[in-house]
Amino acid sequence: MDEPTLIRRAASGDAAAWESLVLAHQQAVFRLAYLLLGDADDAEDIAQETFLRAWKALQRFDPTRLLRPWLLSIAANLSRNRRRSAGRYLAAMTRAFREQPIETPLAEASAQNTDANNLWKAVQHLDLPDQQIVYLRYFLELSVTETAETLRVAEGTVKSRLSRALEKLRRIIHQDFPVLAEGREA
Amino acid sequence: MSELDFENQLHAIAKTMNYPRTPDIAGFVSSRLRHFDRLSAAPVTKPRLLSRTWAWSLTIVFVLLSSLLLIPPARAAIIEFIQIGIVRIFPRPIEPPIEMPQTATPHSFAPVTATPYLESSTLLIDLSRLAGERTLSQAQTLVASYYPILLPTYPPDLGEPDHVFVQDADGSITILVWLDPRDPEKVLMSLHFIPEGSWAIHKSEPVTIQETFVNGQGAVWAVGPYPLRLSNGDLEFMRLIEGHVLIWAVEDVTYRLETALPFVEALKVAESLQPLP
Repeated sequence: MDEPTLIRRAASGDAAAWESLVLAHQQAVFRLAYLLLGDADDAEDIAQETFLRAWKALQRFDPTRLLRPWLLSIAANLSRNRRRSAGRYLAAMTRAFREQPIETPLAEASAQNTDANNLWKAVQHLDLPDQQIVYLRYFLELSVTETAETLRVAEGTVKSRLSRALEKLRRIIHQDFPVLAEGREA
Repeated sequence: MSELDFENQLHAIAKTMNYPRTPDIAGFVSSRLRHFDRLSAAPVTKPRLLSRTWAWSLTIVFVLLSSLLLIPPARAAIIEFIQIGIVRIFPRPIEPPIEMPQTATPHSFAPVTATPYLESSTLLIDLSRLAGERTLSQAQTLVASYYPILLPTYPPDLGEPDHVFVQDADGSITILVWLDPRDPEKVLMSLHFIPEGSWAIHKSEPVTIQETFVNGQGAVWAVGPYPLRLSNGDLEFMRLIEGHVLIWAVEDVTYRLETALPFVEALKVAESLQPLP
């Protein structure tokens, strides 16, 4: 059954159709939330909430549109709100309350010392809108069209924002991740 | 290395990213949907334990709020407004909620394919007193580095706005205005784009408020009339709004859709926003 049909059936209350759609898109949604939040538990929360909110709003969704950009847009908004609402301030307070600091997933990831994790760390130096566009385009491998739909901007805007983000990323890699830069040049 | 080579390298490296195993989101969602009908499938409760970070965070918030609630002025400040983006709403005591669109068969609503009948409200904006009128393309150029100007694609025959204003209020606020073609003295709808750092807008005492979502983003629907107060700490401006308003925020931009449309139609307009071609 094709996606528009599943969307129409789900919008009319068919939970099984919605489950098929969740299965098809849960990995991308979870991964985007993970990349933005750096915590698997938080990413799982965001992914669950994304699909429940989308289900609730499905009757208003145009089934001729692509579902994945819409879902990723919801997940990105929820992730951003989570980062912003309590985010850094509470994380700092939380650390202050703990006797033993808990190793963050980022620290665990960096220990693996792979190029991908170094790249992820480099991307985290960008501001949030730039991070988001890099994650969508290169980590989740969305097309320019899908990226534009997710961010609700024109395709030309995606291209210009990407170009600026890549320039910043080049500088960050050159300055702070020379190992990654050497690997690229080799 | 060219940009294309750099992009190819990024693609290649990002492909090797080692993600945690994707949890069974579909199973969780299905179990929720089996137990609740569409109306009750609200995403506010989760059976899974919160992560340690969030458990700590929530505990701290609870302790802080509990402490603040012991102080009467602080208590009043906490419970008496709702904030969406830059807009604060100071509601009257909550009245019975209006009907929401999630019902399976909305009965106060025209067929989906029909063009809604737009009722103009009383004059929402005194256009002759509004500064900063521009063309749409001028406005787009002026605010391009802050946010994109989006236009509703619903209703399909709405077309471009009749008036476009860009006002500097410690941030470039854009206001798009559609007039009633049957009575050009009246406003059908206005859409405000308010970037972060602009004047705070206080929307006081609407008759009814309802929390909702616009494309999954938290939003508030408020039904007037109510006084709207704009302030930046030094200056203050007040006007009476007799229309309804839908308010939501995306990234650093707050959107206000003032209209005489019913809630469901306003939501459709809000969710139809698309960037200019």
